[in-house]
Amino acid sequence: MRKLSFFLVLLFSVTSLAYAQWEFFEHRYKYKLSDVLEADRFIKKDLYWEGYRNGKIVGYVFLSKQLTADLVGYSGKHMETLVGMDTDGRITGVKVIYHSEPIVLIGLKEDNYKRFIKQYSGKSIKSPLKIGKDIAMDAITGATVTAVVQNAIITGSARKIASKVGILEAQGARKKRGLSTRYVPMTWKELLREGAVKNLRITNSDLGLKGDDIYLDLYFGLAVSPSIGRNVLGEKAYSDLMGRMKEGESAIFVFGRGKGSFKGSGYARGGIFDRFNIEQNNKVFVFKDKDYRIMTEIAAEGSPDIKEGGIFIVRGKEFDPASAFRFTLTLPVRIGAKKIFRSFTVEYVLPERFLERR
Amino acid sequence: MSEESRSDKKGFKRRDFLKIATVGVATGTGLFISKETILATSKDRKRKGHQSNEVKPGELDAYYGFWSGGHSGEVRIIGVPSMREIKRIPVFNMDVATGWGITNESKKLLKGRYTGDTHHVHGSYKNGTYDGRYLFVNDKLNNRVARIRIDYMEVDAIVEIPNVQGTHGIFPQRYPKTEWLVANSEFQVPVPNDETNAGAFGKPKEYYGLHTIIDTERMSIVCQVMVDENMDLAATDYKGKYSMTTSYNTEKGVTISEMLSADYDYMLIFNWSRIREALRKGKYKWISGVKVIDGRKGRSDIVLRIPVPKNPHGVNISPDGKYAICSGKVSPTCTVVDLDLVDKAFEGRIKPEECIVAQPEIGLGPLHTTFDGRGNAYTSVFIDSTNVKWNIQKAIEAEKKGPEEKKKKEYIIDVLDVHYQVGHIMASMAETKEADGKWLVSLNKFSKDRFLNAGPYKVENDQLVDISGRKLRLVHDSPAYAEPHDCIIVRRDIIEPRVKDRYNMFEHPLAVVKSGIERQGKKVTIRMTSNAPVYGIQEARVKKGDRITLIVTNHDEISDLSHGVAISNYNINFVIAPFQTRSVTFTADNPGVFWVYCTNFCHALHLEMRMRIIVEP
Repeated sequence: MRKLSFFLVLLFSVTSLAYAQWEFFEHRYKYKLSDVLEADRFIKKDLYWEGYRNGKIVGYVFLSKQLTADLVGYSGKHMETLVGMDTDGRITGVKVIYHSEPIVLIGLKEDNYKRFIKQYSGKSIKSPLKIGKDIAMDAITGATVTAVVQNAIITGSARKIASKVGILEAQGARKKRGLSTRYVPMTWKELLREGAVKNLRITNSDLGLKGDDIYLDLYFGLAVSPSIGRNVLGEKAYSDLMGRMKEGESAIFVFGRGKGSFKGSGYARGGIFDRFNIEQNNKVFVFKDKDYRIMTEIAAEGSPDIKEGGIFIVRGKEFDPASAFRFTLTLPVRIGAKKIFRSFTVEYVLPERFLERR
Repeated sequence: MSEESRSDKKGFKRRDFLKIATVGVATGTGLFISKETILATSKDRKRKGHQSNEVKPGELDAYYGFWSGGHSGEVRIIGVPSMREIKRIPVFNMDVATGWGITNESKKLLKGRYTGDTHHVHGSYKNGTYDGRYLFVNDKLNNRVARIRIDYMEVDAIVEIPNVQGTHGIFPQRYPKTEWLVANSEFQVPVPNDETNAGAFGKPKEYYGLHTIIDTERMSIVCQVMVDENMDLAATDYKGKYSMTTSYNTEKGVTISEMLSADYDYMLIFNWSRIREALRKGKYKWISGVKVIDGRKGRSDIVLRIPVPKNPHGVNISPDGKYAICSGKVSPTCTVVDLDLVDKAFEGRIKPEECIVAQPEIGLGPLHTTFDGRGNAYTSVFIDSTNVKWNIQKAIEAEKKGPEEKKKKEYIIDVLDVHYQVGHIMASMAETKEADGKWLVSLNKFSKDRFLNAGPYKVENDQLVDISGRKLRLVHDSPAYAEPHDCIIVRRDIIEPRVKDRYNMFEHPLAVVKSGIERQGKKVTIRMTSNAPVYGIQEARVKKGDRITLIVTNHDEISDLSHGVAISNYNINFVIAPFQTRSVTFTADNPGVFWVYCTNFCHALHLEMRMRIIVEP
């Protein structure tokens, strides 16, 4: 948010010449609500519009800025998106009304962006849409940050509205459970067996490549539980992490072995990790370099050597460490001259023993 | 950290191996030693050595090394054990790459002096180990001490020391935490050394050395203790009671032969509670704006003088805090002083020389000593070109047993040839109570034939030595451009959490949030933001003769996204890291169109990131 306000200050204050420079990267489009939902009447509600056809409700229209403004793209700015959804949770249309993603730098045009957006129509958001699985990146190959964030904006906004209007079961109302504050020394094997650390093993054949060699052996888990975090990260890194987080924030750790990489290199340019995100209660969390601290080894006894690793802080107060979340990894694969994307999702449920007693 | 846990995972316990090794030595039988050798080689083969110094792509070093830069005037950060140079921190020099010495902020600290000679870098302490807040470094050339903030790895304060020349050894207080830092003057001079004291210029007997105490929070001088002796290296104890130094010119000589004339010089110990008392009681004179306490022999009880053989060099304290070890330089010995006896000597209950508990013979030209935390000392031996590993307790026992026992030199454990002529020597965490005995760096003054021949002026050779086993194992040669003297090797977990990726923008009072140009008479202030790949202003029109101040703030938040600001033909360039603000002031004396461009690669449109300053005639 602070970042966003900086940009606003900047936009209004620069001289006209510099402003023109910024405008070069900016694209703002006019819109009508009926661009994304066929309806003859729209009724304004708190965060959305109800769309009616012949007096009968046919769906909802909403602006992402009111729902997922904290998701920002490569440019550091939110891509304002107008989304239409029918009463069954199917996307009826999407229109990006403002963005300043510098896709021109990688030889893309606005048309490519529009083609990418088009594929959302007809897709159901009852389960989160995944890049590389439900949504192809072909149209904007190379703009991975833009694609990942844009997908999180559309999916996240739609699922928020869907749970508000009863298409999805609202899950936020449950009373939050705390984590157990008890620390029990555990070995790597025990942590895996308990499900405190989840393993995702991707072979070449999973990616459509030849052979059954392991391409990426990935481990992740909730870092803030003392019995998990202290054992996995070590005393020092764990207490550093706990000291660094703000009220309500949480953190996960991710480690990788093998040829593939969960970090990729996109974050070097855009500051956003474009290969993985987590999702909980219809909200998608992406990670930025600000949220990340490198880890080069696992402290737990009996743990393997790793190739790369990190601690990632989940910002804001919306993530509940005691509730289940989904970890999604999207890997680019080069098959011949073609680059495609494959997505993998693993659910993480914090085992009962790491939760506060009921 | 990583090395040990990694190797331990594979089932090898280094400590176990050491136990066996020690038994072998203690019994001294051939059988034991050969067993140990067999064991070592079989384990070695399995594990490819005691510990690996290889840091693969994507891996990080286990230690931050902070190196002085000698007459380059800078400080360097070197990863240990990879020995990769990670960064240079400009301190007393001008750095045209980052704009240190060019920006108004750095000029304010440097005050027009761009030469420096850094010898010793030390970290701030808490309870006898590094707290990761600051580094301190001396300038022997212009008599300054600089403080480096570890969070930004940037100098934030420089204090100038009056009344002295040759500001050589410095050392921060180790216990309970760093509040004071001592700095020694190696060249005796008249005090004060100005026109008011011209009568002393031709009288070397009226030249003095000063032990300066600096308040490390305020970076101001607390006081100076004036002595007849010169002082080079410095150390503080682990109890917050003393600081100490060696003097090679107790003779007050001004030529080499005069400086070498006496057979004994001194190790000097300064008593901090007595210094505090003198300050409380007002027992000082104000000279050049500083409180100067008279510490000369016979005139005060603040300084203890322990006679040590001719022209000693270097004083280092063992990590258990028990011993101060002086190296002989001209004498082939090291002098071991028991710090528990020093109070008695200050009270006059024993003679100063009775604090010496051992004087083992080490080799020709011992200079500096470092430690492994397992009771062993490692001394750099300049003339022999060796690192000598010796056991402190064994040296003390041999001293007790008498000259015959001493002659056997059983306290010497291993001798390693280094290439060539070592100066300082430093082991990992060795200047703290957490000395871990993993790595040692031998800072050799000559490289001769160890690197591709790059002309008559050759680099130094910093050699990495594995000290985790019983024997020293040379593992890496690393060229060093002029001219590191000393270093410290600090565990990564102490430093890493402290280091930031971006500045706190509003720590700088002039941080720009609104670009614009403001004129007051002939003074023009250009305030400019920068966001890849655009400066906040595209064109600034000024008049010939205007005094321009350009202030630029980097608004890019992404880590590592720094910008440069170079003004064509105006001899100006500087870098701004994420959220950093820097400013320059110059006179627009040449009319014309001058492109300002980004010098630090920032973006795919980096080349397009530019603006114009138009200087109208």
